[in-house]
Amino acid sequence: MSKEFIEIATKINYPLLSDWKSSGKKIVGYTCSFLPPEIFHAAGILPIRLRGIETESLNIADAYYGPFVCTFPKCLLQLAGEGKYSFLDGAVISTGCDAMRRLDECWRSAGKDYPNAIPSFFYYFDIPHKSDNHALKWFEDEIKLLIKAISNNFGVNISTENLQKSISIYNKGRRLLLELENLRMKEGVNITGEEAFAASISANLMPREDFNKSLSDWISDINSLPELKVSGKKRIMLIGSVNDDIDLVRLIEKAGALVVAENLCFGIRSEKDIVREDIEPIHALSYRYLSNSICPRMFGGYLERKGYLLEKVKSARIDGVIMQNIRFCDLHSSENGLFERDLEDAGIPSIRLEKEYGPLTETGRLRMRIDAFLERISK
Amino acid sequence: MKYVAGCDVGSLTSKFVIMIKGKIVCEEIIKSRPKPQESAETVMDKALQKAGLKKENISFCVGTGYGREQISFVNKSVSEITCHGKGARWLMPTAKTIIDIGGQDCKVIKLDSSGKIDKFITNDKCASGTGRFLEVMAKVLNVEINDLGKFSAKSKTPITLASTCTVWAQADIIKYINSGYSLDDIGAGINIAMANRVAMLVSTLKPEKDICMTGGVAKNEGVFTALEGIIGQRIKHIRKFDPQMVGALGAALLASESLTGEVKI
Repeated sequence: MSKEFIEIATKINYPLLSDWKSSGKKIVGYTCSFLPPEIFHAAGILPIRLRGIETESLNIADAYYGPFVCTFPKCLLQLAGEGKYSFLDGAVISTGCDAMRRLDECWRSAGKDYPNAIPSFFYYFDIPHKSDNHALKWFEDEIKLLIKAISNNFGVNISTENLQKSISIYNKGRRLLLELENLRMKEGVNITGEEAFAASISANLMPREDFNKSLSDWISDINSLPELKVSGKKRIMLIGSVNDDIDLVRLIEKAGALVVAENLCFGIRSEKDIVREDIEPIHALSYRYLSNSICPRMFGGYLERKGYLLEKVKSARIDGVIMQNIRFCDLHSSENGLFERDLEDAGIPSIRLEKEYGPLTETGRLRMRIDAFLERISK
Repeated sequence: MKYVAGCDVGSLTSKFVIMIKGKIVCEEIIKSRPKPQESAETVMDKALQKAGLKKENISFCVGTGYGREQISFVNKSVSEITCHGKGARWLMPTAKTIIDIGGQDCKVIKLDSSGKIDKFITNDKCASGTGRFLEVMAKVLNVEINDLGKFSAKSKTPITLASTCTVWAQADIIKYINSGYSLDDIGAGINIAMANRVAMLVSTLKPEKDICMTGGVAKNEGVFTALEGIIGQRIKHIRKFDPQMVGALGAALLASESLTGEVKI
């Protein structure tokens, strides 16, 4: 079952997408974990998180972005320019960070130069950086505007009843992901970090009903799997900038460690926060998606994020934390510096790795640092 | 007689050290070949020949450096960070901070009282602050890389490079050559630029005494002295051993530990 997740997690255009399209249904890509995909689900549209894997060059993106910018949005733009996202019926860009916000302008500009680079529905969705009452109201209004735009563009009706159903289906997936996290954290573990990470990436890519079924089936199988030989392996947590590259987890595990937890926006991160099903759905969505400060894009939430990290380090019995950030990612490189200071003070070994987003072009350098880190914590 | 060895296949040079009972038998260094396995075999053959030994005489060999995963004959591979820490502490028992500047990376390593790695930091992807930077600059000046260090002592007004980017710095150097600046001042400016870049890493890790330098660039007196001036602390020379060989030495010491546990730090 994990093979299905690994196949989906390692491809931009996986077979499920063609099946979905051939049945006449729409696909919309989005860029940030603060956008509620339940809205698209309620409209019968498949929401997928946009990814930059499979990028081999940045010749298109460099022309719009310049060289000194995070490579994640650049990889998305590159793939769009190359026509690899031509299957999309829509794309929604959000203010994950400033580089992601600029993707809206750069992609619109590239759309004039490259045929099929830009989908017919191209929308900018603003997300506040605070979660006070005023911001929550603003966010709720933004969600309503997005619902209106989807309804007008695709000729669909996103009813309250459908939204409630979608929320319930997404919550089911969250509970399953939490179950998976508990299984990978236990002492006699029988799945690798690579497999678990592939499943959590797939949560952002598959039709939610299919994902829930596949994950539920896999969880049932996991307990009957033989325990992995993990004696002497260090338990690692991977955190930092956006990462959806299972090769990084593979690299860490190949060096002799086991990745038992993540704090990544493609990983299992804020699944404990369930969308309330007993209140008005738009209000419930806005509260759930904006009220946590799990990403450093949110102002003033460092202590909350540190608390969450320390709690996870303790519950997963982590031996060391690997903090990666994409070059020029101001948010995570600053935060990783603070985390490093505070984790080391708390006696938790940690290391910061700076890398480019995308296919591992720096394997040798990363491996050297990971090896040395594991040698350090093995003493 | 149980000989042990350390093989360090780096980006520019490959090194081999043979030891027995905690004593160095011989050391060898060659320019790295495109394939790590070929580099490893060539440097090992040369070292064995020098020591009058055969491959079968080596009971345990530890591989390190960028090419360590590709060396087929090693019994174990260990990161160069651990190896440099091990080798430096063996040569200088008071060493707490090691600045290792290799061909394409720069590392600052802090050791705890038992000689194990406490913390380390490496440069990012950029080549400035590494041996490659000096190699490129030496080529532009048309001098031997080993001669670059000597310019600093003779310079009175070193040039200032506007950028530590290896590519931009080349353009800067050409401008200075064309403007008639002396080789001494240009060479000294290059060494200072290199030291400035390395000092950023050193300061991040808050170095503790004693500080020493390993890697090929440790032989460049210009960089060595400039770095001491910038960080405001004395850097101790590694005496009676080539600092470029410290990684291979550390690997040989680890091989010895793996075999008998006879080496104590």
